[in-house]
Formats: sequence, C-alpha cells, structure tokens
Amino acid sequence: MSNEAALREFLLAFADDEHLIGQQHTEWIGVAPFLEEDLAFSSIGQDELGHAVLLYELVCEIDGVEPTDAAIDALAYGRSAEEYRSSAFTEFGTTDWAEALVRHWIYDMVEDLRWQLVAESSHAGLASVAVRAQREEAYHRRHAEALIGSLVTTPGRVELERALDTVLALLPSLLAPVAGIEEMVAAGVTAAPLSSKSSDIASQINAAFDGEYEVQVGSGARQERSSAFGPLMARMREVLDLDPDAVW
Amino acid sequence: MGRTWQDMEAFEAFLDDGGIVEVDDHMPDEYRHAVFTFIEMHANSEYMGGLTERDWIPKTPGLRHKMSVLAKTQDEIGHGHLLYMVAADMGIKTRTEMIEDLMAGRSRFHNVFHYKAETWGDQVAIAFLVDAAALASQQAVFKNCSYGPYRRILKRIISEEGFHMRLGEDRMRRIAEGTQIQKDIFQGALDRWFWPALQLFGPDSKPDDKLLRWHIKSERNEVLRDKWVQKFVPMMHSYGFVVPASDLAYDEDTKKWDVGPIDWEPLKKTLAQGGPDSARRIREARDNWEATAWARRCLDGAAV
Repeated sequence: MSNEAALREFLLAFADDEHLIGQQHTEWIGVAPFLEEDLAFSSIGQDELGHAVLLYELVCEIDGVEPTDAAIDALAYGRSAEEYRSSAFTEFGTTDWAEALVRHWIYDMVEDLRWQLVAESSHAGLASVAVRAQREEAYHRRHAEALIGSLVTTPGRVELERALDTVLALLPSLLAPVAGIEEMVAAGVTAAPLSSKSSDIASQINAAFDGEYEVQVGSGARQERSSAFGPLMARMREVLDLDPDAVW
Repeated sequence: MGRTWQDMEAFEAFLDDGGIVEVDDHMPDEYRHAVFTFIEMHANSEYMGGLTERDWIPKTPGLRHKMSVLAKTQDEIGHGHLLYMVAADMGIKTRTEMIEDLMAGRSRFHNVFHYKAETWGDQVAIAFLVDAAALASQQAVFKNCSYGPYRRILKRIISEEGFHMRLGEDRMRRIAEGTQIQKDIFQGALDRWFWPALQLFGPDSKPDDKLLRWHIKSERNEVLRDKWVQKFVPMMHSYGFVVPASDLAYDEDTKKWDVGPIDWEPLKKTLAQGGPDSARRIREARDNWEATAWARRCLDGAAV
C-alpha cells in the first residue's frame, strides 16, 4: 500500500467515526433528561461534525479536489458501504440515554488519545486540526466524566453497567487498526496505533467503575460495516435521495 | 428590597409612566400571573419548537448544513432554558413543575408546534415563516415590556432569532432557484404552514387586553399580523410560490394585501391541545421524559 493510500485509509477512518458519532448526538436534542443535556449533546455533536468536516477536507486534498460543500458531502454521504471506514461503535444507534452517555464518555476518552497521537504528526494539516480538536475535547471529556462520576455512586450505576456491557462489546471495532497503519507510524503521521492504548482505556474505565473490565482490540481493518450502518445511512440520505440534482 | 404600590391604580400609573418591574418588587398578583403565564408559554414554545425541528435534524441534507441547523435548534432549546429560569424566579412554579405540566398537556405552547413537520420543506418553512412570525411578536414585546427580566432575555433571543430567519431565507432561496422537485416540496410546505404561521399572532386584540394595558405587549395582534402579511405575501410571490389563500386580494388604494377571512377554529383547537399533532407531540415528549426519569432521580442528590 502506498503512503498516500494508507493516509487516506487513516484519515477516512477517523473522519467517518467523527461524522457518525456527531450524527448519533443529533438524535438527543430535546429528549435528554435535562435541558442542559439537550444543549450539551447538540453542542458536542456540532463539534464532532466539525472535526469530520476538517478531516474530510484533508481527504479532499489527497483526492485533488476543492473542499466545497458538495465535495465534503460526496465523502460524507456519497460512498458505497464498503468504501466507509467507520466502526460498529459509532454506527450503533440507541434510544437509551445510559447507552448514549456511556458511549459518549468512552468515545471522547478514545478520541482524545487519538488526537494526542497525531498532535505532532508529520502531516502538518492533521497536526493543526489536532490542536483545535483537543481544546474542544477537554470540554467533552469534562462533561462526560462529571455525569459518569456522579451517577456511578447512585442506584443509577445499574443502568450504567448495563450500558457499559453493550458499549464495551462494540469498543474493539473502534480500536481496530486500519490498513497501512504500520506505514503511518513509520512516516510519523501518528505516534502509534490507537490499539496500543487499550490498556490505558481499560484503566480509565476501571478507575471510574472500580471494576476489572478488559478492553479488546478488533481486527478486519474496518472493511465491513455493521448491521446498523444501512438504516443509519438511509436516515441520513432521506432528503438527499429525493432529488440527486438538488442543492439544499 | 422590592418596591410596593398602594393599589392597582398606582401600579398602573407606574407602568404607564414607563416603569420597569423587577423580580423582587411586590407586584400585584394579577400582574405576576399574567407575566408568568406569558413567559411560561414562550418557554414551552421554544422547547416544543425544538422538538418539532428535531424530527428532521438527523436527515439534514449536507454536513456543514447540519451543523447550522443543529446550532439553530440548540439556540431554541437554550431560549427555553433561559425563559424557564426567568419564569421560575417569579415564584409560581419551579422549572420541573412547568415541564411536567407541559408533558401532561396542562399548559400551553404556540399553535404552530401542534403541527407535524411532514417534509424537509416544512423544516425550511418553519425556519422562515414561523420564526419570522415569532420574531415579530417578540420584538413587539421587547420594545416596551414592563417586566425587566423578560425584556433583558428577549434582547438576546431576538438577536439569535434574526440569524435563524436569515438561515431560513437562505435555504428557501436555494429551493426557489432549485429543481422542480424542490419547488414542489416547498410549495407543499407553504400550503401547510402559511395559515398556522398567520394564526400565531392570534385574533384581533380585545379593547381590554391586560397584556397591552400592563405594557407586557406593546402592539395589537392585528397590527403585527398585517405587517407579516404585507412582508411575506409579496416575498412568496417574488420567489415564484403560490400563497394558499383563495380570497387573496391586492387593494390598489391602500397598496395592501388582504388574505380574506381568517378561520380561527384551528387555533382554538391547538389551545385545547387538539391540534393535528398535539397528542403525538405531547405523548412522545412525556415518554422520553419518563424514560430518563432515573437519571434525574439519581442526580437530584448527587453533585454534578
């Protein structure tokens, strides 16, 4: 695999995860337990969609196209399922707030590590996106940690533990290395594969829950989509599919 | 400490003189209840408006577009958040009591949010027609509102609503310049939303309207409604859309559009929670509220 192809795989996996987690957060406006949580999920959702845009812009650069709205949307909505590099972790849709909260908590924990790994990337564009994203991540993490930290000492812990079982079963997909990751490490695009952080993630989870959870790393280079992907994409494309020539 | 007034006459003289009432003033109970009910309905409407738009946010066509739409709805819920605080400070109901009354169908919200957004065109029509109607009403309250805390919050709300309307207009322009399918979708939305948006202003103000007498509102309903008609009818025409009013007429003498007689029955139904989508809207809001009750219960005693 050429370095350029490997870079594209690497960026797409990150961008697709950011896009889909942002998409999942948009489902919570107006239906979270408090107005403050409606606001937090929509604000965090906007940040994640914003990161996705910035990362898709870097993909446009590789593809040699201007990062117009149409080019960004072609990447975000216009590929076939096998061309996406999203994880089952972010494809998973839920109407359960405990699951949404625990997923948000772990996603942002992992995302923060992901940005740290590219903060001094040899890819200057990526490093500069990381600076901005890390500032926002600090707020996302504080938000999730405050809620988890409070709820875990209450009877609500049962809900969190149930949600954690669901979310941990999906976590390996988020840590699964993309094709060409070795080249990316060798080229200094990322300091290490995200999968190398699994024990760090496990210890953060165990510190919060005083537990002995294990974190596994998936395989398959993100070539396959989960069963949640089709319905999710159909929902996202519902208006776009009304008229392929329309600009909304 | 708050001010007191000898009687209603003295209080009304204070209001007529441009006096501004603050939360710790010993305001007459009638005035307190009237202001509270008005702000509570505004807060409920912001929240229910967010829920109406929520149905379409995940389907927004375009990634950057979705960020703007999400920001708009976040503003609406944020307005609800601020308004519930201002209302709760009046000491009549807590925020939780207001939300629970809303979920139980015991309190009111604007007529337009008793309708379902059927298509993406509806989402655009709401951002444009409905937000413009709401903005016109809010501006008229802000101009001369005698209750200080509400007036100050309205300043911020109005500036954000202005952005929303421009976002709506920009989206509508794209549709007007777009494909036939897009135009047909928007015309359908206009057919559904024109009358509810117009009815949002309410029937002609009564001569003894307390909201006017106490300087909570500063403009009569019919005046605001007419301004909206004079602005939007020609605008819809210029974009090539048909205004769904069969008796629509232009008076050459007054240079004004007249939409003909207005049927107020649909508005009355929404006020009695009997609008086309009232039952689903309230039921879903309540189901969601109940589904997350465990988190509120647990966090009630915990320090977040």
